Amino acid sequence: MNLTANGVWQRNPALAWREIDDETVIISPGESVMHELNDTGSLVWRSIDGHRNAEELAALLVARYDVTRETALADTLSLLEELTSRKLLLPADAPSGGAVR
Amino acid sequence: MSSPPQLAATPLMDRLIARTVRINLPLSVHFDLTYRCNERCIHCYLDHEDHGELSTSECVDILEQLAQSKTLFLTFSGGEIFLRRDFEEILVAARRLHFDISLKSNALLITAERAEMLKRHGVRRVQISVYSAEPGVHDAITKVPGSLQRSLAAIPLLQRQDIQVKLACPLMKQNLLAYRGVMALAERLGVPYVLDMTITPMMDGNHGPLEHRVSADALLPILQDEALRACGTRSPALRENASPVIGSAVSSVIESSAYDDLPCSAGHNSCYISPYGDVYACVQLPIAAGNLRAASFEKIWKQAPAFDRVRNVRETALPICSHCEIRSYCERCPGLAWMEGGDLLGAYDRACSLAEQKARIAGVRSPMSAWHERTLSGRNSQEASVRPSPKLLPVVN
Repeated sequence: MNLTANGVWQRNPALAWREIDDETVIISPGESVMHELNDTGSLVWRSIDGHRNAEELAALLVARYDVTRETALADTLSLLEELTSRKLLLPADAPSGGAVR
Repeated sequence: MSSPPQLAATPLMDRLIARTVRINLPLSVHFDLTYRCNERCIHCYLDHEDHGELSTSECVDILEQLAQSKTLFLTFSGGEIFLRRDFEEILVAARRLHFDISLKSNALLITAERAEMLKRHGVRRVQISVYSAEPGVHDAITKVPGSLQRSLAAIPLLQRQDIQVKLACPLMKQNLLAYRGVMALAERLGVPYVLDMTITPMMDGNHGPLEHRVSADALLPILQDEALRACGTRSPALRENASPVIGSAVSSVIESSAYDDLPCSAGHNSCYISPYGDVYACVQLPIAAGNLRAASFEKIWKQAPAFDRVRNVRETALPICSHCEIRSYCERCPGLAWMEGGDLLGAYDRACSLAEQKARIAGVRSPMSAWHERTLSGRNSQEASVRPSPKLLPVVN
């Protein structure tokens, strides 16, 4: 998969999730698999709203942490790719009925 | 940046439990939406009359408070939840708030449409009570003719929607020998199951249901059954799915070794809410900590003295049980200790007897719990103390 800085995502609406102590726990109900995001991953996760693209998400990391724009963007794209491959994220233009359980 | 954004490695559940216990975060909540039921199970611990259930908006408000308090695992139960006409509305709210949703039901009212509705609103698992694979045995316990057939008919409807099904089989005198049939049924259906040897008093303290309870001696063949040790779910996923096949069908605690010196999750990272808004540490520990019609969940969870009492219990500090030589065979429950013995910190006969049976099976010679030993010596000393004292009573020649 090759994600671009302009891509826009939405959270899979079928998921259960909660941010606890700066870390986010996510559960895919179909497989009963639990995933966890660290503090920076949680910032990206909670900021995914179906409108912000990868570059804008990375900018939030730059504003909050001591990190260059290039590094933040590379890390963000890598995370988005991983989350998408685990079906935790969907392209923003995917119908919500297409959520994968 | 502290570290790149990433998915952490598994296993996660123990870490999550340890973390939430440390900060007393209510990770898991068991919410009974009604005590009304369309079955009349002979061993049931509930009063099925409606004494003023929470309204839809009160339920939704409680769910919002729970989400605010970071609850993730939510179990809706009853009574029979499908008797609430607003159940779908409550599920919609739970879905919007991103809970992981499980249900406990007798499944009599689950149709194909309802199974689809459950899937649509994110229900991950449904636990169904099955007392026997024989209709005559099951239906005699539920007192509803045809109930086994109807409960079983719901299972493929749920499986078709990729909703996990788990069978729960409380064992009592009337179905003690039925467990092998339930095991085979679960195997055939490809679902996990739990056998529960706990029959509790009613929540109001009435000991009526205990007449159906099997004695510890009569449970020996089950405790010795190698097939039970070998079975269990094959799911490699969430630890709660990998619970032992002998356990609780009632409570919604999460099994874990992360509780360390604590008896269980009750009051530490889990609690129970009744259909009337009463908050307890656990459904099996009915000491009301407060009522959600009178106080916020956060206030009750953080400030109620009843939770302080439960949180202060440490296994190693139990006055009698911590000295018990067969403690490692015991599954003492603080709630049952309170309900059956009246003491949150105390021992109770049922746990002691079962521990002795298990120890015997494991090869311990003449095992006796510390409490039974003390009771026995207490009885002896009591016998001694009631002997007439020559100083007080006239000597009769």
